Amino acid sequence: MADAAIRVEELVRTFVSGGRRNRRTVEAVRGISFDVEPGERLAFIGPNGAGKSTSIKILTGILFPTSGRAEVLGIVPWDERRELAARIGTLFGQRSQLWTELPARASFDMLGTIFGLEDERIARRIDELSELLDAKELIDQPMRTLSLGQRMRCELAACMLHEPELLFLDEPTIGLDLLAKQRFRELLVTLNTELGTTVFLTSHDVADIEQVADRAIIVNHGTIIYDAAVDRMRTELMQQKRIDVRLDHPDDSATIREGIGAAVEVTERGPGVVQLLVDTETRSVRDVLDHVLASVAIADVSIVDPPLEQVISEIYERPE
Amino acid sequence: MTATHISNRRVAVTSGRSAVRRVTRQPGVLVFTAVFYLMVTVALSSVWRAAAETSGGALVGYTAAAFTWYVATSESVIISLPQRLIYDIAEDVRSGHILGEMVRPTPTIVGRIATQIGTALPRLGICVVIGFAFCSLVAGLPTSWSAIALAAPAAVLAISTNIAGQHAFAASSFWFRDAGSAWFLYQKIVFVGGGMLIPLEVLPDAVNGWLRLLPFAAMAYTPARLASGHVEPELLLLQAGWLAVFVLLAARAFGAGERHLMRVGA
Repeated sequence: MADAAIRVEELVRTFVSGGRRNRRTVEAVRGISFDVEPGERLAFIGPNGAGKSTSIKILTGILFPTSGRAEVLGIVPWDERRELAARIGTLFGQRSQLWTELPARASFDMLGTIFGLEDERIARRIDELSELLDAKELIDQPMRTLSLGQRMRCELAACMLHEPELLFLDEPTIGLDLLAKQRFRELLVTLNTELGTTVFLTSHDVADIEQVADRAIIVNHGTIIYDAAVDRMRTELMQQKRIDVRLDHPDDSATIREGIGAAVEVTERGPGVVQLLVDTETRSVRDVLDHVLASVAIADVSIVDPPLEQVISEIYERPE
Repeated sequence: MTATHISNRRVAVTSGRSAVRRVTRQPGVLVFTAVFYLMVTVALSSVWRAAAETSGGALVGYTAAAFTWYVATSESVIISLPQRLIYDIAEDVRSGHILGEMVRPTPTIVGRIATQIGTALPRLGICVVIGFAFCSLVAGLPTSWSAIALAAPAAVLAISTNIAGQHAFAASSFWFRDAGSAWFLYQKIVFVGGGMLIPLEVLPDAVNGWLRLLPFAAMAYTPARLASGHVEPELLLLQAGWLAVFVLLAARAFGAGERHLMRVGA
């Protein structure tokens, strides 16, 4: 486990606010522990105030923890912040690290120098990344003339210039339109699969998690409340399945309700279209399907998982 | 590449060069700076020329021509500086923008100071060209070309010292999050104690001797004194010394401020 990209043990961070009379202590992170393997794509998610940003700040070395241990690429982040910075890439939401008045190439030259790259290597990396991120036509235009989505592509290239082993992304798709988000997610996956870069992503956007991450850690009130592969989240956590039924005879919708039981909620969605919400803890989907097939003639049927957003909301709302 | 192998000098040069490119792509800012500089220089130099002429042609050793060169130079090194720098640094600390720079392998102060110097240099260039033309027209060509040769590096040292000094002062915002009082105090000291508005020799002897030695004189008085025809190369040495002190102070203050931010959070 010494080779873990990130190793966190019992990490705690408290903040003290107010004066002497109204001193208030807030526990932003309460003893979290987890490991991230090299090459993983981890989504670190939670509602506002859950401790995501605090954790990412500690892991990038810009915040001391109150207690606990962490190693990122074998480095204690807050002890050797600059050494770690040379090996990681960071993208904090909409905080740009590129000059708006200049083309991205000029900013890349500056950032490459800051990260200690020789001129030749900077030029080579710019070529490689602009090819990989489909940004060739963008990097010589002033940043202010680019759309937000195009700018984010350049930002991503900027934080990949020095070939970081690990990429920290804090809400990277915030503010992007649907197409730009989709493009950005594809690029993240490309960077991970082609370069092997480990991705640590925080986001409120469930699609970021679904389309980018292969594992999700859910935090709330400073503690980890769920940690598993994204694929397993639905199957492990959902207590509901939806069955959409299209009837041969629209008048049969009333027949379905007869004897279906309390664990199934039946809703009519249109003439001959019925939706059944099944509580899978008390009733199996197969049992409900058997009942439907036995009672009416159907033209079509499909079984749908609830959206991941709903699954995550349910996790947030669980009592601690 | 590890952080310890990265050259701060190379980072400073590249940051400064990028800033120069950035400013030269904003001709509107350069034009505004030039117009403002010319207005202030014309107004102030006429006041001091009048003062010299009503005092029998010279006041505290400055002729009307020397005053013109003095004012044109002192204004050029102040007006070419980025305005509200202390406020902007405080805002970067308060908003957490500086955190983005803290996840880089080089000290934040290196890129910051170099960027601000790079931002000021094109403006200084414009002011110098306009100032030289104005002074030559109104007061005649310089009486000492040696003094002008010393004034040129002194002007660059002046803006560099001022920028480093502002960073050292602005570091207080890591603790107080408000730079209003620091900026007010700093500005007033440079205006009067730095000889921006008044040549230090106009002040009482007991005061001006000390003020010449203080760092604020290095920010305006030194290049202005030299440009007004006084060949005093020792002033350059003093300037270089204060620049080194302020760079060191700013680096230490930023280092301590960043550690403070790591303790309390942004």
